[in-house]
Amino acid sequence: MLTYARHRAIVLQGALIAAVSVGAYVLVTGTAANLSARGIPLGFGFLFAPANFSISETLLPFKPQDPNWWAIVVGIANTLFVSAVVISASSILGLLVGIGRLSGNPLVAGATRVWVEIARNTPVLILLIFVYALWWKILPTASEAANPLPGVYLSMRGLALPLVDIAWPPALVMTLITCAAAVWAARGLAVRRQEASGHRPAYVTVAVAASIATLAATAVLSGVSATVEWPRLGRTNVIGGLQLTPELTTILVGLTIYTTGFIAEIVRGGILAIGKGQWEAARSLGLTQGRILRLVVVPQTLRVVLPPLTSQYVNVVKNSTLAIAVGYQDFMTIVGTIINKTSHAVEGIAIILGIFLILNLLLSGALNWVNRRMAIVER
Amino acid sequence: MTDAASIASSRKAGAVEVERPPVRPPGIISRMFGTPLNAALSAVFLGGLLWILPGLLRWLVFDAAFLPAEPRTCQAAAGACWSFVFAKSSQILFGIYPPDERWRPGLACVLILVLLGWSVRPTSWNGRLFLLWAATLVLVIWIMAGGYGLPFVPTSSWGGLPVTLILTVVAIGIAFPLSILLALGRRSEMPVVSVMCVLFIETVRGLPLLSILFVASIMLPLFVPEALLPDKFVRALIALTLFASAYLAEVIRGGLQAVPRGQYEGAKALGLGYWRMQRLVILPQAIRIVIPALANTIIVMIKNTSLVLVVGLFDLISSGKAALADPAWPSPSAETYLFIGAIYFTLAFSFARFADFLERRNKTGH
Repeated sequence: MLTYARHRAIVLQGALIAAVSVGAYVLVTGTAANLSARGIPLGFGFLFAPANFSISETLLPFKPQDPNWWAIVVGIANTLFVSAVVISASSILGLLVGIGRLSGNPLVAGATRVWVEIARNTPVLILLIFVYALWWKILPTASEAANPLPGVYLSMRGLALPLVDIAWPPALVMTLITCAAAVWAARGLAVRRQEASGHRPAYVTVAVAASIATLAATAVLSGVSATVEWPRLGRTNVIGGLQLTPELTTILVGLTIYTTGFIAEIVRGGILAIGKGQWEAARSLGLTQGRILRLVVVPQTLRVVLPPLTSQYVNVVKNSTLAIAVGYQDFMTIVGTIINKTSHAVEGIAIILGIFLILNLLLSGALNWVNRRMAIVER
Repeated sequence: MTDAASIASSRKAGAVEVERPPVRPPGIISRMFGTPLNAALSAVFLGGLLWILPGLLRWLVFDAAFLPAEPRTCQAAAGACWSFVFAKSSQILFGIYPPDERWRPGLACVLILVLLGWSVRPTSWNGRLFLLWAATLVLVIWIMAGGYGLPFVPTSSWGGLPVTLILTVVAIGIAFPLSILLALGRRSEMPVVSVMCVLFIETVRGLPLLSILFVASIMLPLFVPEALLPDKFVRALIALTLFASAYLAEVIRGGLQAVPRGQYEGAKALGLGYWRMQRLVILPQAIRIVIPALANTIIVMIKNTSLVLVVGLFDLISSGKAALADPAWPSPSAETYLFIGAIYFTLAFSFARFADFLERRNKTGH
């Protein structure tokens, strides 16, 4: 009987390997035949040819004469920029909305519920093109740009924000690194002392205070200069400042609305997962409200929340590809343009798949590392 | 008889009058303005509502154009142009399907929706339901594609809601059994099987659906000989199915891991083979555990069908965009997208409520 099962396993696995190999062989030979029949050459030489197209909004400098590989790097930077902004904004908003859903106040609970249900039950693509359609519908022309906050202009041409430009003198950077190291060392000493004596000395507070003083002194002495460039209303357009196109603003706003709904539900679940007994036990130990939150509730909530949050963050990177729907040039759109211009479809798609796999592996690897550090160490 | 039971029975008889302090749940006013924080929050939210709501209602209802469904109704009105949605609803819903034949996609949608509604009732869960679905899908494909008495309509002319519904139902219908196999394969003791399942699941989960759809639409024509190439609709369907199966497989694996070891050992001790053990003992428990997560994944898949637009399939969004291109109308895009969004919302929201019902039902079952 045992040998029968073992033989069956061997035969089954052998058959599987054979099937996959045959499939791969058919694919490779078929692709080669198709490509040569259509006269499409294979190879990555096109990466070094000039791109000859322009990218309207970039984080890194880009000119049409730059090579294709640089265009791809610029695209990756754009994708990462969108993902980073959306992840930070929706984490903060998601925390607030998630807490709001648990509020006893019916107005707060109702409004946050509406947000969450819309985000969870509407395709993100529709959310994006709807926001994009609204953009042209309700916003004024550039010459009459709305000015909801000082220094913020909103019009059909896009969103203008104050641009803060800080010059970092090398001395200040050096001091900053030294101070960070000092605080880290102080924390280590304090922990060692606590483990030895049970008493935790206030080394960290002292180190932080000293660092702030040193930093302030260095900043004054080395002459750090922060210039703020305020956008202002010209005759026909908003001039200066940090200008974001409607496309970029749409993708940031739309994805943030969407992701916030999901993160809010994760936060709500995490808070509900902490039993009432934890609060009561902490109170009976004599901890203050703030310390209960910091030492008892938040660490446990984080532990519950981190794994689903990880997959949400990875989803943001994947959803950022929908920039294609509103015409913001992210990594995938740029590679798409390169494929259209050079007809190197196989290589282009291979680059897309490879880069996304690497990005997601890096991101989930980093978050899993955090997760492992937070997880309960069971004996 | 214990004390508590005796008190309960005597109370039932009315012998002991227990004076209880009246328990009043906090009223709506005290919930809104009870504490300074709540009062401040309520003020902010009420202010926001008062600021947004009048304008929104004016646009949505009072200043909006409804009937007659003609362009000049919209030009006369300051608000939303609903008459466009009325006039174009069949084009938005059924896309570029030949206008004379539009009863066919309509009937297909009705069939699928009625059967979905029917499937919600626990009394109809049996083997016949499966056959009913198979028969209905064959019928729907015949109604849509034609042949055998009906004029032939190629899938390239399919559009709108039936595309969304067919893609969703068929992709999830095939992906679900596939995902069970993948999940079992990932936990298999045979190294080749488990490595291949892990590779497949993790690769698909690491990629955006958009890139997988691109592979299906751009790369597949290069990969396979032209004679074997399925049409665009089937290619998108394959991409969606593979994508859904990888995500569902991870959810089901979670359920499999949550089934206690004793269940496996007990089933083996009864002499059940691998497949009978999985089918009769393990999977029913595993799937019950992960119903909420399954529902969430399926809702995401319903929403994901909207992405087939980027590979040139005529789903709801692209047919909406095509309707908007009519120069006779003022192109009310926001209203059209609201209409399409409402259709998706209805589908996803009702499925979420169905999942809630399943979860509650299973909780009382234990």
